[in-house]
Amino acid sequence: MGPNVDTGLISRLMAATELRAKVIASNIANQNTPGYTRQEVRFEDVLRRALAAGRRDLDGITPRIVADRSNPAGPDGNNVSLEQEMSSLRENQLRYETYATMLQSQFDLMRLAITGGN
Amino acid sequence: MSGGSSPVNGLDGMFGGLKIASSGMAAERARIDVIAENIANARTTSTPEGGPYRRKVVSFAPLLQRALDGSKTYLGVAEPRVRVDTRTPFQRIYDPGNPDGDADGMVMLPNVNTVLEMADLVTAMRAYEANASVQESFMKMAERALQLAR
Repeated sequence: MGPNVDTGLISRLMAATELRAKVIASNIANQNTPGYTRQEVRFEDVLRRALAAGRRDLDGITPRIVADRSNPAGPDGNNVSLEQEMSSLRENQLRYETYATMLQSQFDLMRLAITGGN
Repeated sequence: MSGGSSPVNGLDGMFGGLKIASSGMAAERARIDVIAENIANARTTSTPEGGPYRRKVVSFAPLLQRALDGSKTYLGVAEPRVRVDTRTPFQRIYDPGNPDGDADGMVMLPNVNTVLEMADLVTAMRAYEANASVQESFMKMAERALQLAR
């Protein structure tokens, strides 16, 4: 696996985190919308399973938005928990920072390879 | 490689996120405005339409977004609708000095419960703040994506 494969994977992870940030934002924006079911993005776990199974065609795995009914709904049929969403938002932001840092170090390495440190 | 992967696309994604959070803020603000109107008119006994003021409520609906493959997702809140609360009955009190009272001195007061409105106001304000911190989070992510281009 060369560095290009890695940056591709990291970029896709970043794209998935961006999508998740939007979905969490939507859950928070709809915390008072009657009948709203919280949504979440599935990507990393699917990717992890595929990698564990030794699959090579990872491009076919894309982030999916799914409705999450595991939370009990309140009297208005809304199952958004603000605390849960805020902590997911923060976790997601940290993930994004991590991926960005990983990508940055890959770019720095490439630059080093191109310039030879000059 | 899939889309949305370059820092530029990433920024574009952030703008979308800002819009989602601001749709939530707009909805909560509309609710706060309506609550303020209700509280201000809690003792308005005669309106141009006749009779006491009727409490207003804001109803929220999620903003539906259809993807290219036909799947549906909700991203943001739709423009909130203001409706008149016709279910809650008016309060009837004895106030003989009131010009809007009937022959028995009974006056119809609006169907506004100020305690309920205040509780709603607190929820709306908290929700507004939550959406504001979502925007802050998007700003941080966008700044980080920008740094990659340095």
